[in-house]
Parts: sequence; structure tokens; C-alpha cells
Amino acid sequence: MGTLEQIDAPHTQSSSSSSSSIDSNNHPSTTPPPSSSPSSSVCRNRTDLSTDLRLGLSISPLSQSESPFNSTPREESFNWPPIKSILRSTLVGKQSHLSPKPSLFVKVYMEGIPIGRKLNLMAHYSYDGLVKTLGHMFRTTILCPNSQPLSFGNIHVLTYEDQEGDWMMVGDVPWEMFLNSVKRLKITRADRC
Amino acid sequence: MRPKLAYSFPEEVLEHVFSFIECDKDRGSISLVCKSWYEIERWCRRRVFVGNCYAVSPATVVNRFPKVRSITIKGKPHFADFNLVPEGWGAYVGPWIKAMAAAYPWLQEIRLKRMVVTDECLELIAKSFKNFGVLVLTSCEGFTTDGLAAIAAHCRNLRELELRESEVEDICGHWLSHFPDSYTSLVSLNISCLGNEVNLSALERLVSRCPNLQTLRLNRAVPLDKLANLLRGAPQLVELGTGAYTSEMRPEVFSNLAEAFAGCRQLKSLSGFWDVLPSYLPAVYPICSNLTSLNMSYATIQSPDLIKLVSQCENLQRLWVLDYIEDAGLEVIAASCKDLRELRVFPSDPFGLEPNVALTEQGLVSVSEGCSKLQSVLYFCRQMSNVALLTIARNRPNMTRFRLCIIEPQVPDYLTQDPLDAGFGAIVEHCKDLRRLSLSGLLTDRVFEYIGTYGKKLEMLSVAFAGDSDLGLHHVLSGCDNLRKLEIRDCPFGDKALLANAAKLETMRSLWMSSCLVSYGACKLLGQKMPMLNVEVIDERGPPDSRPDSSPVEKLYIYRTVSGPRLDMPGYVWRMEGDSALRIS
Repeated sequence: MGTLEQIDAPHTQSSSSSSSSIDSNNHPSTTPPPSSSPSSSVCRNRTDLSTDLRLGLSISPLSQSESPFNSTPREESFNWPPIKSILRSTLVGKQSHLSPKPSLFVKVYMEGIPIGRKLNLMAHYSYDGLVKTLGHMFRTTILCPNSQPLSFGNIHVLTYEDQEGDWMMVGDVPWEMFLNSVKRLKITRADRC
Repeated sequence: MRPKLAYSFPEEVLEHVFSFIECDKDRGSISLVCKSWYEIERWCRRRVFVGNCYAVSPATVVNRFPKVRSITIKGKPHFADFNLVPEGWGAYVGPWIKAMAAAYPWLQEIRLKRMVVTDECLELIAKSFKNFGVLVLTSCEGFTTDGLAAIAAHCRNLRELELRESEVEDICGHWLSHFPDSYTSLVSLNISCLGNEVNLSALERLVSRCPNLQTLRLNRAVPLDKLANLLRGAPQLVELGTGAYTSEMRPEVFSNLAEAFAGCRQLKSLSGFWDVLPSYLPAVYPICSNLTSLNMSYATIQSPDLIKLVSQCENLQRLWVLDYIEDAGLEVIAASCKDLRELRVFPSDPFGLEPNVALTEQGLVSVSEGCSKLQSVLYFCRQMSNVALLTIARNRPNMTRFRLCIIEPQVPDYLTQDPLDAGFGAIVEHCKDLRRLSLSGLLTDRVFEYIGTYGKKLEMLSVAFAGDSDLGLHHVLSGCDNLRKLEIRDCPFGDKALLANAAKLETMRSLWMSSCLVSYGACKLLGQKMPMLNVEVIDERGPPDSRPDSSPVEKLYIYRTVSGPRLDMPGYVWRMEGDSALRIS
């Protein structure tokens, strides 16, 4: 998939923009146009989407909103048409020749919080983006892979369970390999590692 | 006169009379007659329905109704089904289970929908209720098979365990073996949502030792060649959900299966059929004429195979199917299934740009003509016309639920390029008993005028990408007298309509608006003026205080409550309160 960056440019922009309030303020009109200019944004999305599907990059366009920081209205239309997740995953499974994995959701757990949250890894394109999203999601600072901690105060690190059931530090392998082996994520305090 | 009459009967007599009244609404009315009826009614209420877990506190419910045996609680907004509610929103059942564990040792039935249920909750259920019988978890999440194991191990009188479309973390398929060998009371088991393999020998033993088992819905991991054995162990089954319905084509597998199905003479409902291999479908033909319910929405097979199957099911009342059925198949259904009441047609390729099947508005028109009992429709298609909607409305004035999803948003009548206002207008005008409606396609404010004028019995309305101004929302809120739930996304509805109809919101269960034009300022105002409403702004961009009052909020969820603010809001939910103006820094 050498064309990753090229194809995903519009997505990258919107999914990361919504994670920062500065960027989202650049798009003050958060509502779709009234019917006088029907569905232009929708059409744009759907085009992106079909490109994605053909390249087998994104499994379920609905899952875009799984990442909690891309819910600008433009992204919302990914949750259309309204189909429940169980049927959706059945249909997705059927098209498995298009997709590297039947599902790209993983659960993320944080120490001390009993409920995990779902995350669509395909909405991210690098470790940095993932760490940023998780930092917002759990309102904490997570150490980027390969960077040196300044202090171990209230800093968390990200670990993942691979297909063999082993817990590894996120960042130990290239991003694409990580996508193939990750089963779930856990955020733990840095001083406990 | 009425209060006097009440005093003239001994309480026991009234209690006995009340016991014949099962409808929640009627029980509510009884309790409003006078103080003494209120008292008598609350002491003999056995079943409670809580439509929104935040509308009332667990303590209030257990104090008012001390002898409840059966409870149903609903949590997240309906749009959670379609990913519009962020993860971690709430609807934790924990506080409810804790309160009930202390107050209701004789509780028998718990039914939950869209709630977060942890293993601790399931363990508490398992050990708190002496005579526990029914656990139905619909679209719930947060628990694992460990919690289910606790239920299996401890609830000796369990009759129903249903996990309908719940998201269960599947740690271990052996949880089924926690049902003790002496346990035989199972009536209904639905594990269709589980992802992993279950212990098949434990399942077989369980199924064959429960003589009253009526409903068995397996998951995709149960292979087809095991199905025959399971069926032999439970020939009394009424409802069956198969597992994967595929296998290497071997004559003995087929004949074995056909024989097993033929032995199940009571079967009335079939579902499952994951990965279906059409050549195995004839195994069910002999029982097709008994079927009243058929769910093929996971069965990705082409029209001819579907037609062969459904044309033999002449007593069907409910059919769920993918759009592979096509117009031709729906025409066959119109001709052969004269008892059909509910039809759902789901899209097999919802994100493709081009149609992949020959399914249009015509299929629905055919069914509306042929099936005179049809009253509930969910239909996904790619084109619609006003004339088709008018025909459907005239054909089926008995319709009570009509949900139409045209896959591309804001698509006009494909014949005239007009909005679909007149078509949906015809639906609300002719179907006088319409209770549920979902709109799609190109729609102006006019359709909402029709809905407000005619939709007098409408209870739930779903709207997306529709309308052009506040007037649309105003028509609905001011006109639909019986509206309980309204959910809106991506519509240009804003402050005026909402504030002008603030009092209406107190008569409704909830209002959801996402990607609309409601400003943060209006939300604050509503929260201040309406203390009985929880006005919750959901904004994942950060605190709404950090933006101008005039900027629209991402998502808004408003519901009436008698228990005040909830205490478990995640960081991205802000409740508008009377003093919220003071908190702006």
C-alpha cells in the first residue's frame, strides 16, 4: 500500500483536526448546508470512502466515528446509512477479500477504569496519531514510543496484547506490523513498567 | 364519587382487580386516581418498565414499588445503535442492580437494553436473587463470558438467557459448562452474538437435558454438522437460530440435517444462516409451511435461492432479509405470504455507489398490495418516488411502523426530482395509527408540516438530512401530540423551534439532536428554564464554554427526569444547569 498517504490525506486531516479545538474552530460552520445545496459534503465523503474500500484500507466507513475526535458533522455522514454493528460486521466479513482483517476495532483499557473503550485503528496512520487520540480520550499524557521521559510523574505508557497473548510496548515494530498483530491496548502508568 | 368507591372495597379486593391490569400505562393511570389507589397499586406492582435509566433513580423505584418481580430498563439513546453516541457515555446498570439486590430478593426477571453491564453486575445478580429466571440483555456491553458463567452456575431456576446483539468479550467458551448437571429449567437461550466457539459438548448436554427448551439461537461458530445432533436433542424447539450454515457438501450431512429438521414439528421461527450454502437450504423446506418468522438478514444468497425458500413459507408473519431478495422476490412474497405483518429489507452493500441488486421502490409497493396485514416496515433502497409512497399509504392504512432508508442522503423523487414531502405526507395522512416513522431522501419543511398535522399517534420519529429551517422542527414539536422520542441528525433546526417548544420536551421521554444548529447559549437557557429536564451537551472538541454561546453544539441529548442530574457523566458531556452561567470563566 504505497499510496497510503496520498489516499488518506482528506481523512487524516479531518480526523486529526477534530482532535484539536484550534483546528475545528477553523470550520465554524459545523452543520451541513440546508437542502438548497444538497449533499455536497456527503458526496465528497462517499467518494473518499469508495476509494478506500477499493484499496482495502478501511473496513467499515461507519467506524470512522469510533475515534472520538472526528465527529465533525462532515464525518458524521459516515454513520449513514444507519445499520447496526452486528449486521455491519456480517457484511464486512463477507467482503474479506477486500480487507486485511475482519475488524479493525480494538478495545482500549486504562488502569483503574473498568470499562474499555473501542477504537478504530484504521482512523490513525502512525503511532503519534494514536497516542494523541488516546491522550485526549483518557485525558492523560501518554509517552510517545521511542521518546525519553522527562519525569515519571503522571505519565502513562501504551502497551498492547499481540496475537500470541503477549503484552508488548507499543512502538516495538513498524506501524503496519503492529496493525497485524494487535489484539487490544492497555494504558498503564509509566512507573509500573 | 370515585374516592368513596375506593374506600368501599377492602384493599385486597382492589389489589386483586388491579392484578388483571398488565399494561404499564394503565397501571400508571390507576395510581393517579387517588391516594389510596396509589398506595394499593404500588404495593402490588410486580412489573416495572423504566424507559430511561436516568429519568428516575433506583432508590425512587425500589421505595415506591417494594414487591417488584420483573424489571425492564433502557439506557443509551437509540442512535447509539448507529455509532452516534461516543464510547463511555454512561447507562451503567450497576447502581440499579445494587439497589435491587438489597430491595428485591425475589426479583425474577431483568431485561436491559443499551446498558453497560459489568461482570460484577452479573455476579451480583447471580447471588442476590433467590428465584431468578429471566435475563435478557439487548445491545448491552461491558461484560464477559466470566459473568455469564456466574449466572449459569448460580441461577438454578433460570428460564431465559438472551444476549441479543450484545457485545460480549468472549474469554472462554467453557462458561456453558457452568450450568450444573442437575439444571433443566432452560426455556430460551440466545448466544448468537458471541464471537468465539462455545463448548459444543456442554451445549449438546445442556440442550438435551432441558425438556422445556423452546428457543435456541446459536452463534456463527457452531458448525452445521453439529446442528442435527442439537436438534435431535430438542425436537420440541419453537425458535431456532442456526450457526454457520455451510459445510463441505456431503450427502450424509444433508440427509442427517433434513431428518433432524423434519423431527422438529413445532418450529415456527428460523434465523442465523451465516455463510449459508444454498444447497443445504432444502433441508428446511419440509418445515417451511409452519414458519411464522424468518430472519435471513445474515444470509448472503442470491434472489433465486431466497425465492425458492420464502415461496414455501406461506404462513410467515415476519420476514427479515437482505436486499438480495430483489423486487422479483418481494413480488413472490406478495403473492404467497398473505399473513405477513412485518418486513425488513437490509442493504447488502450499503456503501457501494452503484446498486448491486435489482431492488427498488417497486418491491415494497408489491408487498403493500399483496400483504393486507402488513403493518411494520423497515426498508433500505436506493430510489423512491412520491407516487410509490402514495400507493403504499393507500394500500396499507393499517401501517403502524414505517421506516424507509434511502441509502444516499437527500435524494429526490427519482421520477420528478421533487422532494419526497408529498409521499411521506401521504404515509402520515393515511396511516392513522402510525406510531413510528423514519424519514430519508430530500425533504423540506413541508413534510414536517404534514407530520405535525396528521401524525397524532406518532410516538417515535427519526430524521436525518432533512428540512430547511426551524419551522420544520416547530411543526413536529407543536403538532405531534403523542410524540415520546425524537431523534434528529444533520438538520438545520435550531434555537427558535427548540425554545418555543420547551414545555413539550417535558411530555417526551427524550430528544436527540446531533449536527444541527442548536447553539450552546440556547442549551444553557433551556437548562435554566426547565429544571425537570436534563439538558446534556455532548462535545468531544472540549468544553463548550471555550467557544462563543452562538456556536452550535455537536450533540444534544435532552430528557425529562425526576432524579436530577446524573453523576456518571464522562468528560465530554456537559449538563446545562441553572447556575451554569456562573461557571463561565
